[in-house]
Amino acid sequence: MEVRIEDLVKRFGDVVAVNHVNATFESGKLIALLGPSGCGKSTMLNMLSGILPVSEGRIYFDDQDVTSLSPDKREVGLVFQNYALYPHMTVLQNICFPLKIKRIPKKERIERAKEYARMVHIDDYLDRLPKELSGGQQQRVAIARALVKEPKLLLLDEPLSNLDAKLRVEMREEIRRIQRESGVTTVFVTHDQEEATSISDYIMLMKLGVMQQFAATRNLYNDPANLFVADFIGNPTINQLHGIYEEGSIRADGFAKAIPIGNYKIEDGTRIVFASRPESVLVSKKSGETEMEVEETYISGKDTLCVLNAGDGFLRAYVDNEDAPEEKTAVRVSFRKKGVFVFSEESGERYYE
Amino acid sequence: MKNTSDKLKDFFQYLTLFTGAAIMFLPFFWMINSSFKTEKELLSFQSFFPKELLFDNFRQAWEMGDFLKYFGNSVFVTVVCVALTMFVTILAAYGFSKLRFPGRDLIFTVLVSMMMIPYEMLMLTNYETIRHLHLFGKIWSLIVPFTSSIFYTYILRNFFLSVPDSLYQSARIDGASDWQYLWEVMVPMAKPSLVTIALLDAITCWNSFMWTMLMSSGNRNIRTLPFGLTAFTSEAGVHYNLWMAGATIVVIPMIILFLFCRKSIITGVSRGGLKG
Ligand SMILES: Nc1ncnc2c1ncn2[C@@H]1O[C@H](COP(=O)(O)OP(=O)(O)OP(=O)(O)O)[C@@H](O)[C@H]1O
Ligand SMILES: [Mg+2]
Repeated sequence: MEVRIEDLVKRFGDVVAVNHVNATFESGKLIALLGPSGCGKSTMLNMLSGILPVSEGRIYFDDQDVTSLSPDKREVGLVFQNYALYPHMTVLQNICFPLKIKRIPKKERIERAKEYARMVHIDDYLDRLPKELSGGQQQRVAIARALVKEPKLLLLDEPLSNLDAKLRVEMREEIRRIQRESGVTTVFVTHDQEEATSISDYIMLMKLGVMQQFAATRNLYNDPANLFVADFIGNPTINQLHGIYEEGSIRADGFAKAIPIGNYKIEDGTRIVFASRPESVLVSKKSGETEMEVEETYISGKDTLCVLNAGDGFLRAYVDNEDAPEEKTAVRVSFRKKGVFVFSEESGERYYE
Repeated sequence: MKNTSDKLKDFFQYLTLFTGAAIMFLPFFWMINSSFKTEKELLSFQSFFPKELLFDNFRQAWEMGDFLKYFGNSVFVTVVCVALTMFVTILAAYGFSKLRFPGRDLIFTVLVSMMMIPYEMLMLTNYETIRHLHLFGKIWSLIVPFTSSIFYTYILRNFFLSVPDSLYQSARIDGASDWQYLWEVMVPMAKPSLVTIALLDAITCWNSFMWTMLMSSGNRNIRTLPFGLTAFTSEAGVHYNLWMAGATIVVIPMIILFLFCRKSIITGVSRGGLKG
């Protein structure tokens, strides 16, 4: 089912938790709602589920306007951050609950519940109470309960945040698999950019209630709309040099020479932020436009991370271990076309070539 | 190996428990023992045990006091009171904990503060209520004043408050209405509290005396056991052996009930009725 939100606003008193958001979630895709704590992700999700009334704007499921439909009529499944399993019911009863409410005959109910329990690999624990399960198992029960009524939309609110690092990686792949198998349109809330990029088809990145960018996951990394997006996505974070634009170069603060960055539609003298992905910084001993000093080097796996002195700022770059330069020596630096962006320092808006 | 001081401690613990149990048990034993004696035997203190077991006391007591009727009334009043109280309590506790309406907490505070009004005062207003409802002499006069309880509502409300809202939201998304959420999720979750409340209420109802006396002194058809027994002692004259037989008849159903529900009564009472 396709989900369309139009000019969605949510206010809590003076706080604008969600600020004029427009987007369309394609049917059958997994969309990550990403952003720092307090940016309005849960608020958005709760408006989609119907738990929270909207202040302004409309929500459409396919062509149906569901803005004022109550949660029990929306046919969505929601997995809460704390799972919200019914503590007095066994795993099987928990999964059966939505079907019981729908008055589906007991036999069919149990059959369908077991099917979904199998899908999330929880079928060995059907008779246990939630408190007798680990966090990961509880989460899978919550997912099965959300899926069993065959919702048109599955919503997950930071479902992995209570799990340890290893289980988190396992479970996110599990969620991806389950989503693929069931083909249900899914919105997944997280504040972890790595989690978002590793499982989603699309990412909506939010900041203080304002949507920063909504794009295919790959594009968000390769083509960020503004400095916030470029900074938020990517690990290690993107390099940032502040300085003045001048005829295809940046005069970085505290750095003696102009660094060529290519021609952008910017007036000379404008303050900019020159951002470059670490893998787009090319370090070599011989060729390259700019000379910089290597501050520190760290070996990480097959690569060496070099920290290059660039005046007030610095650049991180990866070099093959064999080619790694010595610390405190000079190297020559140039930039790839890909993974290099220029933003306005004042507004964070992106400048294009 | 336990050392001597531990053994000593054990000894005194058991001694205390034994003494307590003996003190509790003795009146019961005395009552049952006496109910088998002839009146002369009972008053002369000649022998501890009855010379022969005199079942005739029971027959006489049974015929003189209408115990079967009293028992039936007691059961009816208790069952209906408990059922209505539970129903009202559950709805009130849900309303005062989970529904949002203006003045909710203020109203509840006022209700709770009314628990300080002494029961004897309430009897006057209850009397008036019953009079206006024209229920004098009817068994419903024993029920109507006791169909709700602020105290139980307070206990249950505390439990409901401790249930996270995400369960409510979850149930709503699972398709449940408020009503279904209450009965399918909240009530089963509160079962331990509810059992405790039901037992406490049942004991209170069963033992209710003052009000029953007030309402049923005029009509022997609506007497319950506690007042029925008292009435019997005056109607039967001073025959201690018959009194004891009557009292034994009254107590036996309670003992049977206790033997059946022993486990839930003990857990219910020992949890103090205050935790969920
Ligand atoms: N019921 C409420 N009343 C008032 N303000 C609220 C309420 N719920 C949320 N807010 C505010 O709205 C903003 C967005 O909250 P929201 O819970 O959506 O953030 P979030 O992105 O989910 O954060 P987190 O990652 O920490 O869960 C916050 O500033 C929060 O303080
Ligand atoms: Mg949140």
